[in-house]
Amino acid sequence: MQFPGQGKAPLGVVYSTTMNRPDAALALAMLDGYEGKREARVAAVAVNGSELDAARFCDIVNRFYLGPGPIPNSNNRLPVGFAADDPQALDDPMAKGVLYLLNDKGEPLYPCGVTRVSDTAEVQALIRNALTNTADQNAVVVLSAPATCLAAVLDLPLVRELIIAKVKALVVSDSGARQDVAAARKLLAAWPAPVVFCPRELGEALRFPGSSIEKDFAWTPAHPVAHAYRVYRAMPYDAASWDMAAMLYAVHPDAGLFHASETGTIQLRQDGSFEFHRSAEGKHKSLSFEPAQKDKIVQAYIEIASAKPVPRPARFGPPVKKQP
Amino acid sequence: MILLRKALDRRTFLKGASAAIGLPVLDAMLPALKASQIPGQPVRAAWFYVPNGIDMRHWLAGDDGPLGTLPKVLEPFEKVKNDILILSNLTSNWGRPLLVGAGDHGRAVSSYMTGVQVQKLGGVDVKLGVSADQIAARAVGHLTKLPSVEMGLEEARQAGNCDNNYSCAYVYNMAWRSETQPLPPISDPRALFERLFGTDIVESPAAHARRLAMRRSILDLVSDDTHRLESNLGAVDRRKLDEYLSSVREIEKMVERSEKEGTIIDPGIEKPFGIPPTFDDYFRLMTDMLIVAFKADLTRIATLLIGREGSTRSYREIGIPDGHHPLTHHQGNMEMLNKVCEINCYHARLFAEFLVKMKATKEGDSNLLDQSMIVYGSGISDGNVHTHDQLPTMLAGRGGNFLNPGRHIAYQRETPVANLFATMLDRMDVHPEHIGDSTGRLKGVSLS
Repeated sequence: MQFPGQGKAPLGVVYSTTMNRPDAALALAMLDGYEGKREARVAAVAVNGSELDAARFCDIVNRFYLGPGPIPNSNNRLPVGFAADDPQALDDPMAKGVLYLLNDKGEPLYPCGVTRVSDTAEVQALIRNALTNTADQNAVVVLSAPATCLAAVLDLPLVRELIIAKVKALVVSDSGARQDVAAARKLLAAWPAPVVFCPRELGEALRFPGSSIEKDFAWTPAHPVAHAYRVYRAMPYDAASWDMAAMLYAVHPDAGLFHASETGTIQLRQDGSFEFHRSAEGKHKSLSFEPAQKDKIVQAYIEIASAKPVPRPARFGPPVKKQP
Repeated sequence: MILLRKALDRRTFLKGASAAIGLPVLDAMLPALKASQIPGQPVRAAWFYVPNGIDMRHWLAGDDGPLGTLPKVLEPFEKVKNDILILSNLTSNWGRPLLVGAGDHGRAVSSYMTGVQVQKLGGVDVKLGVSADQIAARAVGHLTKLPSVEMGLEEARQAGNCDNNYSCAYVYNMAWRSETQPLPPISDPRALFERLFGTDIVESPAAHARRLAMRRSILDLVSDDTHRLESNLGAVDRRKLDEYLSSVREIEKMVERSEKEGTIIDPGIEKPFGIPPTFDDYFRLMTDMLIVAFKADLTRIATLLIGREGSTRSYREIGIPDGHHPLTHHQGNMEMLNKVCEINCYHARLFAEFLVKMKATKEGDSNLLDQSMIVYGSGISDGNVHTHDQLPTMLAGRGGNFLNPGRHIAYQRETPVANLFATMLDRMDVHPEHIGDSTGRLKGVSLS
């Protein structure tokens, strides 16, 4: 979100996600938490590879973190993107389990502004437009979904120049990108800015403690991300943190929590899994972490994902309600 | 086959001692080989721009489907409901503040028409891009007397700082021939009349003044040539020529009347000479001329700036003495917002009336509206908070059996409005790779 009159905007994060696992929900909570602390801002959230409910869930989470009061207009907050007509789209039981929760009055527990596809944004235009609202070298892209849409963004006129100017890095989480191998290969070969790869093993080794959901999110009886965590699997369980690791590194690459390798090249195996080969000519890097940093990383996850909403200032006056 | 007939020159004029009038396309101008083949009617494109956004409470939203009960601002289109498409959720991203801040009105119309970022260079310098209408005019403009026609209902300023260091050129011009060359709209009815129906061979100022003093029609000055031409034309062409010259004369009379009334009825108000005293008459006079120009195929491309962005025009004709722009910053004040709605309805009524006239204008087996694609919209949706997405957008006409109107189509948000313009230009066989920030073509508008 761009706050007029408040100096340089924080780092803009474009998050391309399937939003069908708890680590994705927690990564979105982290992003909103960073925005509350002005350490980053939600440049765009785009759902790819899941059905509309996943986009609806993203809208719920964003509204939750914006707190009470009017929703910022589209100059300040872009609508959630959604890849419609995606043949690979999967059902999203996690999102469904949260969307249809009701409060004591029988109303939806979490307000949602997305009821139909046309309430969401077209993904390629969304990502391009989000980057136009970002200062030079002040954006990162976190990809944990099939690369279909992000690769298609590269085909838009003048977008390569835009990415070179605006984007510090593309952080690829090995959790969803493998679903469209051709697009992932195209993206990795043609992306004109640095690429950092977050291997699957890393997210599996860094588990988000399920106990934190009951303890650190307990400041509110109704937290959509906590609900999503509970809905996804029978509690207690500790979720892998693929997207959270990618988000943490994307926003704070210099925090010393992760180690970025020397340059190399990410390749896709026939089965769609990723492989990193070091080479001086390569333009990709791969992430790892020291065991000694594990607790710090998990603590960083918890602290930011469970942060309370911070109201955002509005531009001009209040919006006027639509008449029936 | 031996071709004996020699086609009449496409740029034939009716000439007199001190004036000349351009002609519509006559069968006699078509190459002999093609004359018997009855070519398809041309497709026209026009853009009508309304300033300061729309009261979106009373515009259409929701699901796709046939147009049913129309909301208040769209009620005037009931008669032509089956000839319009309402296209929701289109965006003009470069109208947004992005990293440059204030100046939404300063950049709204220019970015809307070009899909390009408007450069904030103070009051003198400008840098933009080529507007959609001019991309079309470059490609098909050679087929008509005028490549395009630019019209406006406010006197245009071309220099100075109009909004937060945006040049007035951005605010007053819809059409841009190049990055730095706007095509100023004609707001004076007489000037428009002479651009459309006069020729490059203009009357000398002295002859012009003499003719006005004698209250003679421009047609009188070319009558000898008219008779000469008529004697060489077939029956169809003679009828076509007669209809055209009658229309020109009707318009000329209206211009004369407005010139007369403009000085007598409303001398205290700052207006250029010859503008009708009421906005209704002004709108009708200008758009009537456009209909004649379209029918005569003098041009196929037009833009009309109904008001400049940030316009403070008051609409006393409908009992609203307040300035339009200040009203749109209503901050939730319902009295102000309702007045905005009345202004929006007023503009809509006039545009709907224009569409009805277009539909009533026969062209072969079809009518002028069916042969046209006319955008009615704004680069701002909510004038109170200056949003540039979910734009109010109507596309009227059938584009020569191309569009499938009578429906509402809701696109995904952030879809560039330039996608609509690119789709229209495809129909005109222009096929631009892209227009500004377009990402493709709009699905669902056409019959195919």
